Amino acid sequence: MANVTARPAPVPRAGAGRFTRQERLAYLMLAPVLGTILVIVTYPFLLAVLQSLQDAGSEFVGLRNYAAALENPLLYEALAATGIYAALVMPTEILLGLGFALLVHRIVRSPRIRALLFVLATIPLVLPPIAVGVIARLIYAPGYGVLNHLLIVTGVIRDEINWLGQPATAMPAVASVDIWQWTPFVYLVLFSGLLTVPREEIEAAQVDGASGWSQFWHIEFNYLRPLLLLILFFRLADVLRVFDHVFILTGGGPGNTTQLLSLYLYRIEFKYFDGGQAAALAVMVLAAVSIAYSLVTRLLPVERR
Amino acid sequence: MKKIRWAPAVVVVALIVGACQAAAPGGGQKPAKLTIAAVQGNEDAALKAVAPLYEQKTGIKIEIVEFPYDQLFEKLVTTFKANSPTYDLVMMDDPWMPKFGTDESLQALDSTYGIKRDSDIPDVVYDVGTWPPPRGPVPPKAQGKAAHLIGVTIVGNVEMFMYRSDMGPAPKTWDEVKANADKNKKANFWGYVVRGKATNPIVADFLPILWSFGGDVFDSNWAVTIDNAASLKAVKFLVQDLKAAAPPGSESIDAADRSRLMAIGQAYQSTVWPGEISEIVENASVSQVKGKVSYIPMPAGPSGKGIGMMGNWLLGVPKASPNGQAAADFITWLTSSDTQKTYVDKGGIPARKSILNDSALNQKNPYFAALAKSLEAVPNWRPRTDQWNAVETILGTNLNAALAGLTTPEDAVKKAADQIRTLMKGAGY
Repeated sequence: MANVTARPAPVPRAGAGRFTRQERLAYLMLAPVLGTILVIVTYPFLLAVLQSLQDAGSEFVGLRNYAAALENPLLYEALAATGIYAALVMPTEILLGLGFALLVHRIVRSPRIRALLFVLATIPLVLPPIAVGVIARLIYAPGYGVLNHLLIVTGVIRDEINWLGQPATAMPAVASVDIWQWTPFVYLVLFSGLLTVPREEIEAAQVDGASGWSQFWHIEFNYLRPLLLLILFFRLADVLRVFDHVFILTGGGPGNTTQLLSLYLYRIEFKYFDGGQAAALAVMVLAAVSIAYSLVTRLLPVERR
Repeated sequence: MKKIRWAPAVVVVALIVGACQAAAPGGGQKPAKLTIAAVQGNEDAALKAVAPLYEQKTGIKIEIVEFPYDQLFEKLVTTFKANSPTYDLVMMDDPWMPKFGTDESLQALDSTYGIKRDSDIPDVVYDVGTWPPPRGPVPPKAQGKAAHLIGVTIVGNVEMFMYRSDMGPAPKTWDEVKANADKNKKANFWGYVVRGKATNPIVADFLPILWSFGGDVFDSNWAVTIDNAASLKAVKFLVQDLKAAAPPGSESIDAADRSRLMAIGQAYQSTVWPGEISEIVENASVSQVKGKVSYIPMPAGPSGKGIGMMGNWLLGVPKASPNGQAAADFITWLTSSDTQKTYVDKGGIPARKSILNDSALNQKNPYFAALAKSLEAVPNWRPRTDQWNAVETILGTNLNAALAGLTTPEDAVKKAADQIRTLMKGAGY
């Protein structure tokens, strides 16, 4: 007997080339969201593009602001600082978050302890960035910082370490604040991902004598892959926006060592009052991030193997 | 029928016209409320404390919207740019005045609302709120324009000097400061605290030293002089001589760290702002040195003069405020002699000579005499250019690099001078 595949009945159209009733309903329901996005995202972006093509007197200057932005050597110092910062925080947060998630998933069975860890992990995420910066300052401050005090009391060091005043330690100190605040986010996301791994697959692997590493690499990692991509996207966006704790801890110093892209952009806009150059930078950053995102999405397979 | 169809449109037009009229600057009607954009911290504490008294007296509610320092500046820049009538009064740090003056963001308080100088308040306090500046170089965009009072001081900040008077005499010169620093430095006790954090903090610490050494950022024609011999000597004095007696980490020390180090008895001397004194150094709940620290005007340098720096906070009325007269009346009330007594009682920093020299108030506020002398000696203000924020960022970054040993003082001033020259040339100076 031949298989007969029932095709869905065509949805009646009101007229050729016009939307179906369902489509109209869908667009109608999407309209508030699309309208909101248009107002709060697209409109400011278009304004930024417009501003990037104008001088302070709103005269059209073509790509002059883009040229000025690219000619400024401080931009490359800021990009380098941001690159170092990202290289410090992103792998560290992902590895630590993944490690914690695996550890808790495999070892902690008590729902109460898991719930407690969930709450503890949420705390850094809900703290205002300024408060985090102030707390970090109490830890690293010269003279009365808690970290130096503890290290001296425990005999680890004899003299104070100048955490924020020398390039070799200033960037790691600033990055450590980010790692403290955002590793829990990675942990929470990946732990949720681990909960979606079917128990039968793990048990089958265990019956076959698979090691813990094999279980992770061949089974769990496949379930975490899209989440890791999500984390990468979110964290990259966050790294480009980092401002408060850097501003509070070092103000971008020593010299320009910790002047990240966001701080640099802020200074171009609110210290140099060069709105055109700041807008050009913002547009270029957005374009670069969009390209990076599409490349990452294409290069890293999101779907499970 | 036509009449009825047009009626809503007529109502809408009438409402719009009415709204536009209400939004015209200089409105003389009594508003129900005045909204003030203020800086969060000790600078606006007394303002918040006395504001309800004004409501009791006039029935006008005073709503104070607070922002941290940098956010306030951003907010004012964007509000003024949009010509938004959000605020009737704004608190401004005096280095912001050239930017807002050049952009003509504020209403004239003298010619429009009749606010006059009071002989009990030093002229320099009014001068700092006057645009274009009544003395010193004037930015090209402001040249030839009539000077008007666009801000009135409500926090009479002048940068001064503090030292442990229980341990030694007052330094008269920066050489004595250095000698005292070296003499008193010992384990866990620092001879001098450099406020060396990048950009604004280190520049605020450095300028009084620079001026006292006979240097400056610009000459009277806006030519850059930060790389001349006197200026370089001042830079070396800060980043080498004073740093030698300072705690490690000077490169990241800000005002609160400096005062804490004094308050916990780990430092001998430093520059200081009045707000740090009342909030930390003389605050018995956090300070171990209350009564052991004395306050004096800036010591003299090789130029023979000790020059303090103004850091006044002013109140101004934005161009877009529809309640200009009421806002100006509030300023007059707040700065009046009677209100200032209550204001000081609530922790305010006055600029009135009669209050600063009042012996009873001096007992409670041990820095008042030094502040009176500092104002009398006519402190300098930061160069009155709308480019100051950028200049300060350039200078403060390079000074910080020199303090951290990332560059030599010579290279730091050269790099700073080159960048500032390029900036000023681009801005039409």
